[in-house]
Amino acid sequence: MVSNKNHFYIVDDDESVCRALGTLLGTYGFSTKSFSCAEEFFSAVPNSAPGCLILDIHLPGINGWEAQQRLSDSGSKRPVILISSDEDGGRMKQVFQAGAVGYLQKPFKDQELADLIRLVV
Amino acid sequence: MGNNYKVKTAKQKPKLELKLRKPNIKKRRLSGGKPLKTGKPPDKRILSKAEQLLLRGFVSDLSNVRDDLGEKVRRQTDELKLKSGQLRHGADRQQRSDKRIQKQTDELKLKSGQLRHGAVRQLKSDEHIQILTQAIKSMTNGMFLIDVRKPNFLVVFSNAAFQTMTGYTERELLGRGYFSLRGAKADSGVVAEIKRTIRQGTHFRGEMLGFKRAGQQYWFQLRLAPVCSASGAITHYVGIQTDVTLMWQRDFEIKEQREELLHVTRVGKLAEFVSSLAHEISQPLTAILSYTNAAQRLLADREPQIREILQYINNDDIRATEVIRRLRSLLKRGEPEIKPLDMNALVKDTVVLMTTDATIRNTVLKIKFDARLPLINGDRIQLQQVLLNLISNSFDAMECGPEDRQILINTARRDRDTIAVTVKDTGCGIPTPNMPKLFSRFFTSKSDGLGMGLSISRSIVEGHGGRLDGTNNPGRGATFFFTLPIKQKPAP
Repeated sequence: MVSNKNHFYIVDDDESVCRALGTLLGTYGFSTKSFSCAEEFFSAVPNSAPGCLILDIHLPGINGWEAQQRLSDSGSKRPVILISSDEDGGRMKQVFQAGAVGYLQKPFKDQELADLIRLVV
Repeated sequence: MGNNYKVKTAKQKPKLELKLRKPNIKKRRLSGGKPLKTGKPPDKRILSKAEQLLLRGFVSDLSNVRDDLGEKVRRQTDELKLKSGQLRHGADRQQRSDKRIQKQTDELKLKSGQLRHGAVRQLKSDEHIQILTQAIKSMTNGMFLIDVRKPNFLVVFSNAAFQTMTGYTERELLGRGYFSLRGAKADSGVVAEIKRTIRQGTHFRGEMLGFKRAGQQYWFQLRLAPVCSASGAITHYVGIQTDVTLMWQRDFEIKEQREELLHVTRVGKLAEFVSSLAHEISQPLTAILSYTNAAQRLLADREPQIREILQYINNDDIRATEVIRRLRSLLKRGEPEIKPLDMNALVKDTVVLMTTDATIRNTVLKIKFDARLPLINGDRIQLQQVLLNLISNSFDAMECGPEDRQILINTARRDRDTIAVTVKDTGCGIPTPNMPKLFSRFFTSKSDGLGMGLSISRSIVEGHGGRLDGTNNPGRGATFFFTLPIKQKPAP
């Protein structure tokens, strides 16, 4: 899973968020690919393709939780960071139970993201 | 009378005997007179001259006696005739008098009949008055009569209900000025209006605050109407007052409950609105922050002025985020209070709150309950909010003006584990293009809508483990329904 360290997939229905996160991750030397919904991601990226996933919870269609569930059910080992503007009270337990590596409440500082990435890669 | 006459004849006898012994010369000449049947007839051949003379005298005496008797008889007959005439006259008079008496008797009978009739009528009228008086006394509405010919409008009559209502006894009320009863704190505007009404001789009707003798407040409805004398002049005013305090209290409680629920709904809507707003704003703020951080990283040790500017952008982004976060926590929906609930009772309570609205909107609210509906677990206020929202949507949907504006609320057991509550209306229905967006936030078909109602309702129902959906009726209008899980019995 060496390539997981270099590549990030971003799933968020807000185009601007995707682009901004892509730019920021670029400054860390990561390559990124964005999707506006979970279905798009699943149809484009097989479990075998390496890379971390930054997944928004509020999505049209399949939401973040359901997408995470689907990934773990399919036996994927892809590290997932969940993001949302919801307060994180009580969220972390749910996040870990779902099998994700971490949660960031929007908007988040580059430092918070960097700390989490360091944990993943 | 006959008796007297006989007596007189008897008296005559001795006189007659005397005259026979002493013959009257004068009467001897009166010969030819018929011999009297009484006594023996004389034998002419054997009578002497003296005897003949005596006899002649005797006969003459007899004839005289006869004449006397005849005279007497005639007189007495005349007398009798007179008497008889008088009698006959008396009898006529008697007859006439009898007729008069009969007439008077008849008149008397008539008068007596009239009197009896009058008496019966009087009796009936007395009974009538008594019943009327009793009715007025037993009325649960306060009733009083004031004399408006006097400047102070004195109370001349009051019934028991009025006495209870005002706290004064009958004696205290009698002769007391009506307006002095109303307490110093009475609304002077209302008092002036009543006085004006009386002066104009018109009717008054109004609701106002009153003060009992001991000072307690009460709300009452007052109706005043003029009472005219036989001549048509207004002499009195009759007043009827009804204590509406309890009614008002109940109305007030319902209104308060409704206000509370509306407040909760408004706050809920606002919270949901702010939450949505926060979500929408946090997206660009996230992007801005990430762009800024990326730029800061790219510039690293270069362009200190631009890096400083980037730091300001960074700081203000964080500030904006904080403002939204605080606002969101301020309007955070309270933790639901989950309790066992009877959905039938909850529907009934909610319908009571909406009754006034329904009346104003000329809409019939019907309820059909499943009497054996099991309890559910839920937050009373939140579920009431859902019902209120659905009913109020139905009201709006019927603004398009159907003739029979009807809302049917139905509770039913759906299956082993769930119940369903249905709100069906006869409104304009849901336009097909709106169907997919029905439960989306900020989607509304109303000019003054926020587009939060159904979205919040669905999140509440889903929070209770149920489902909320809507569909058009085959005929007219729409039906919204939500399901809720039945309260599970604790495991044995």
